[in-house]
Amino acid sequence: MRNMDTSFIERFLIVLTLYNLLVTAAISLYGIVARPSITKKIISLTILGDSLNVLAILIGFRVFSVPPVLLKLDANPDELLNLAYSAVDPLPQALVLTAIVIGLAVNLFLIFLALQVYRLYGTLDSRKIKELRG
Amino acid sequence: MRKYIVLLSIVLTTSVLAYITTYLEAIGLVGLDTRYLAKLFLTLAYNPLARELTVLSPEAVTSIVWDFRGIDTFYETVVFYMAIIAALAIYRGVGYPSIRSEKGLSIIVKVVTKLLIPINIAIAVSVAAHGHLTPGGGFQAGAALAVISVLLAVVFSASSFARVGVSLSKAIALRTVGLLAIAAVVFVPVVFNALTGVQAYLMQNYVKVDSEFAFPTHIQSQLISGTLIWFNLAEFLAVSFGFFVVFMLLSLREDVVREQLGEEHGH
Amino acid sequence: MDVTLILLALFSTVGLVFTYLAVVEKDLVKAVIFSAIQSTAYVAVLYLLRAPDIVLVYLPVAVGLYPAAILFLIGKTEKVEEK
Repeated sequence: MRNMDTSFIERFLIVLTLYNLLVTAAISLYGIVARPSITKKIISLTILGDSLNVLAILIGFRVFSVPPVLLKLDANPDELLNLAYSAVDPLPQALVLTAIVIGLAVNLFLIFLALQVYRLYGTLDSRKIKELRG
Repeated sequence: MRKYIVLLSIVLTTSVLAYITTYLEAIGLVGLDTRYLAKLFLTLAYNPLARELTVLSPEAVTSIVWDFRGIDTFYETVVFYMAIIAALAIYRGVGYPSIRSEKGLSIIVKVVTKLLIPINIAIAVSVAAHGHLTPGGGFQAGAALAVISVLLAVVFSASSFARVGVSLSKAIALRTVGLLAIAAVVFVPVVFNALTGVQAYLMQNYVKVDSEFAFPTHIQSQLISGTLIWFNLAEFLAVSFGFFVVFMLLSLREDVVREQLGEEHGH
Repeated sequence: MDVTLILLALFSTVGLVFTYLAVVEKDLVKAVIFSAIQSTAYVAVLYLLRAPDIVLVYLPVAVGLYPAAILFLIGKTEKVEEK
């Protein structure tokens, strides 16, 4: 499908979705860098991961499409080709699938680290932790 | 109030930027076309005509996860495994409490949760076992089953894990069994090659151009897509019990943990 | 005109709004709830992007497990973020 086959408003909506995801990533990056609480940093980090995962899937998306699943097992060659020309890109989905689960495991590890920091320093405010060190 | 003004300006700026970008046609084919590689994966995922190239699974995502890019997924599972080992390392030396009379939420919530848990298990097993046919698979089923651990911890308190027969060492053992099962399926073709001399490759699923080795694709005319169902079930075990371990540790009472971790942790 | 694209833009905007609210909120429990609402909007976005596999894994992870884990953390540590 070419650029001219879609109307202006359709292209605008897709670009708006793209920008929304990018701005979400930017705001969560601000949360990671600028907010003092480690808990808030972890919340922002989960949002950053989510928005970038959705961005990856948006790259593989195409308008007027179907999910990448074949619906019948006795499909003839025409139907197989039809799926290839009407389904979304399955590769970003496969990569994001594992990324979400691993992201959860890594973030849970960060939560354990934060708990340990609280046990040792008695606070989760990164400014206070900086003062306590040394 | 200031918060909402900033919010409104962010949303408006984003919209105006998107409008300008579209008007200038600065971004070309976003969301309008897919790549050649995607078409290749989509046609080859289930294609009995291309016998040496297909995975024989109508689900393109599961085909990529466990066949086309199977080694990637195996190492990602290992990363997942190591992340939870790192979490366990912080809690080293902390014993999990045996049955004690701790109270959870009210009786109504408990009864509803008891009804929900079997449904949750049924959904998780179904999602794992049909991962090669419909959307789903080991990761999804594992995440679905992990919800039970949160329910148990919140509704029934931390001591309820012992009552349903899940201890910390058992959960750690089960997720190791999951990872080892994946490794076992990976090495089956190699063992087959060593025993019979037939050409077979590591992590092979279905016949290749110079190898006639293939996992059974059907059980009594039910499509199981060779290795995919075994990978999905093993991954289900590894992921769900990995999360069980983490939430069992997270639900421990803080004073109990500090007592066991030693004196240097007080502040 | 496909309604998918309108909903896509709408739900991604909802995700943006609640991300901002979650990041600036001082009360951490409220921030977790805002983050869960943002995740729910993203579940809709993923469904509209024709990714049922990701919906199945993202729904329990981002709406169930993340908030639960972070609430456990908040319950054991600080409840508010000081300025």
